[in-house]
Parts: sequence; C-alpha cells; structure tokens
Amino acid sequence: MGAFFRASSSRPPSSMPEVRVTGLGLLTPSGLNVAESCAAWLRGESAIGPAPEAIRELLPQALAATVPDGWQQKLQRAVQGTDRSVQLAAVAAAEALQDAELDLPGETDPERIGIYVGIGLAGANTLDNLYATFYERLYRPDAAGHRNPAMVHPLSVPRLMSNATAAMLSILYGVRGPTHTYSVACASSALALGEAYRAIRSGWIDRALVVGCEAMITAGAFLAWNALRVLAQPDPEDPASSCKPFDARRSGFVLGEGAAAVLLENAESAQRRGKDGHAVLIGYGSSSDAQHLTAPSVDGQARAMRAALRDAGVAPKDVGYINAHGTATAGGDIAESDSIVNVFGEHASRVPISATKSMHGHLIGAAGAVEFAGTVWSVAHGEIPPTAHWRTRDPKCALDYVAEGARRLPDLRVAITNSFAFGGTNVCLVVRKN
Amino acid sequence: MRRNTEMLRSLIENFLRQQHGVDASKLADPNTKMQDLGLDSLGMIEMLFEVEDKYGFHVETPERYSQMTLDQLVVDLESTIRAAHGGVLPGELEPATKLDA
Repeated sequence: MGAFFRASSSRPPSSMPEVRVTGLGLLTPSGLNVAESCAAWLRGESAIGPAPEAIRELLPQALAATVPDGWQQKLQRAVQGTDRSVQLAAVAAAEALQDAELDLPGETDPERIGIYVGIGLAGANTLDNLYATFYERLYRPDAAGHRNPAMVHPLSVPRLMSNATAAMLSILYGVRGPTHTYSVACASSALALGEAYRAIRSGWIDRALVVGCEAMITAGAFLAWNALRVLAQPDPEDPASSCKPFDARRSGFVLGEGAAAVLLENAESAQRRGKDGHAVLIGYGSSSDAQHLTAPSVDGQARAMRAALRDAGVAPKDVGYINAHGTATAGGDIAESDSIVNVFGEHASRVPISATKSMHGHLIGAAGAVEFAGTVWSVAHGEIPPTAHWRTRDPKCALDYVAEGARRLPDLRVAITNSFAFGGTNVCLVVRKN
Repeated sequence: MRRNTEMLRSLIENFLRQQHGVDASKLADPNTKMQDLGLDSLGMIEMLFEVEDKYGFHVETPERYSQMTLDQLVVDLESTIRAAHGGVLPGELEPATKLDA
C-alpha cells in the first residue's frame, strides 16, 4: 500500500503524452482579445475604474474592471439570450479555436474532446435581474408595473445553471466528450485547466477546450463582496491604481469580469495537425487548507506549488517566473510571499513575480485561466508584465515583484501560475517553453 | 382597438424574426402553423412569455398553440388577454422584465 502511494505521487511515467497549449483566447477588461490584453499588461496599464452607476448608487466608492464594449456583435445567435458569463466565454472560446486553427465540429473525433469550464458565481446577472424584477415590480402590490408574481422568465433556470457555459459550448462546437464545470471560487478555472490536463495525460481525451468566465458586476454581488472587507479603497489621486499587490499601501482587490479560453492538446495530435503550440503545460498541483473559509494558508499554498513542481519534474531553481495570485489583500500577499519562500528557499528572491490583478482586476472564477493565458504568452515571448502600481516596500513581502515595468527574459524556460481560492483550495500550474 | 391587435401581432412577429430567425415569408403565409416555424417547446414558452410579460397574464396550456396558425394564435391570445383585463386589450405597455443589466 505504502509503495503504491509513493509511486502514484512521483513523476508520471514518460509514456504519458505531453500537453500543448495550441490556442488562446481572452476577453478581459484590458482588451477584446489576447494581443490587446497582453499588450496592455506589458505596458502596466490598468483597466480599473469607477463601478457602473447602479452599483455606485449603493456604494459611491465602488471600483470595477469591466470588459469594454465591442464584443457583443461577435455573438452567435444561440448565445444572444444567455447569461453575460456565457456570452463572454463564447467570444474567448471562438478566439482560442481560431488561434488553434481547429475547426469544430468536424475535424476531430467529437468524443475525444472535452469542455472544462471554471466559474465562481454562474448566472449572476440573470439571478440579479430575476430578483430585481421580482422584488421591484412583481412582488409588491403597490409597485409601478405590478404583475402576477409568478411570472418570471421561462429561461431563468437554463440561463443561470452553473453548467450553462459548458452546455452552450458543447452545443456550439459539437463536443461530445466530458463536459465538466468546476466552481472553486478564485481557483475555478485553474482547477479546470489542471483536470483537463490530467484527462489528456491519462489518455481519456486528446483535446480540451478549457474556459474560465465570470460576470458578476451586479449590485447584489458588490454588496456581498463589500461586506467582506476585501475590496480596494479608491486611490485618491488615480483610481486606476487602486489595486496594489505586494505594496505596503495595498487595501484589497477590485472585482473584474471577463473570460479566457485555452485549447489543450495531446502533443501527438497537435503535431499531426502541424501545430507546436505556444507552450507546454507540464505540471499541476492542487491542495486544500482544511483550515478556514477565507484566510489563506502558507502550508496549503506551498503544498500545491510543490505538488505541481514534482508533477512537472522540475526543481524550484528551474522556475524563472511566477505569475502570482496576488490579490492585494493584507493577509493574502504575505501568505503568498511566505509560501514562495517556503518552496523556493534562497531562489525565492531571484524569481521575478508579477501580479496582473493590479491591472485587470480579480476575475474570480476566470482569474486562473486569464493568468494562465498571460503566463503562456510570457513564456512564449520571453517577456513578463510588471506588478503595476508597486511603489512602497512591505518588509513582510520582500521579493522581486517586477515593479519597474515589463521585463525581457529571453532565457525564460519554466514559469508557474498560482490560484488560491476562498474555501482553501490552492492550484499551481507549470508552463514550459516549447 | 384594431391598432392594439396589430401591436400584439407585431410583438409576436418581431420575437420570432429576431430571436429565432424565422423568415418573413413564412410568417406572411396564412397556412403556416406555429409548429412549422422551427420552434421547440422551450422556444414556444419563450415566445409566449414575451406576450405574458407585457400583458400581465399567465398561459396555462402552451401546448395547444403549436397546432395554430399565426392568425389563430393572435385571436386566441387576444381573447385570453381580454379575459384577464376586464374585456380590454391594452395598448402600450412596458415589459416588467429586464433581461440585461
């Protein structure tokens, strides 16, 4: 028994296929596609601003990172009536498939491809509108436009169900393999990537369309997040710089929305199509703190990073870049810095670390996939984004946070990206240059 | 009165054209039944909701509409709405439901 467990936790046999990243798609507050989003992050440009007016009526100081207009006209007819989270996902998915030059359905065995979606609060806009309509107009007999309170939209359930995105993508692209949805708060889509990677490694499927999406810039969600005291206070001089990860002046994160899509492929299948891809996903580790609903744990985070490095078969000193979870909460950034020191030892101070939530906000369920896409881009191009707005050193966060601006790293070979969730789930993914 | 019936009809036609891509010539053909428009059961209740939401009533048996032509559907819905509104078919009404934030 003991021998079996030791064997299963060591590096997988080399007969397991490599997993290539052959397609990327992004629809973020920073841009309508991969090129725009990554360019904005390299420039250190923030997409954070005042929250929509309906939210500021309740919370005058509220900040948000919303996706700019210009994507709605790309929506397929079938997606037009769906929840905003599904719509954002569909746009990112289309870009990833186009980038991978994979025609679906048709070009591949539909049962050998899967859809893996990560989302935090599915159907947030649908649910908010449903309750707003119910309480404002239907329920109160004296309300303007009062109606029969039982009359809510018949598509409410299929719009807000957690698997709405996965279902719609499988229908759009004729995908008949596993169609999974992971809801693990801020680690949702990082976990979706890891589980898709494992399914390909173990030979269950050849390809996976992995999507992270989130759209909860709604009054209800903002009140809830605000009550938790984790949202950033607006910077008095420049509201766009309000989220300051690893900086002594940090005060929390800014809620964002958006989607990322990643096509993962068995290397052999990719090469048969003449695709090398952008990079290789070589390691995945996850862990649970079993400790607290919201407080981070150095032990849990370190175990996830160690598990991912072991899975990848790389030593800490081989890692040339860390894309941090970096939410800019007081405790979260200290815990992450400590867990990096715990895993990387002396090497910790030599690894550049950036937290791009300073620019695109916290995309919750989409965050893991968005930051994974950014990490893949950095590994492929040899250039990493800064942690925007970092100016003031916190002695408890004493590492290299790439404060000066984007940095060229032509020799970058291996990078990791961290995603740590409320609820205590930690995920780390390891990316290698092709 | 006639104008209000036309409004009800165009509400249905616009929904079928815009949300389900139904061809205008199919809608113009008086013999086309609802079941020939490519609407599944979900599409049918979605269409009925457009009307229910505007006029504030609830259709109990949506299945029967699939056998009707558009003309028959409008006549049937108009009498159902009148029954729910003391014999009147209202004109301009605001929908109660906000679909987008």
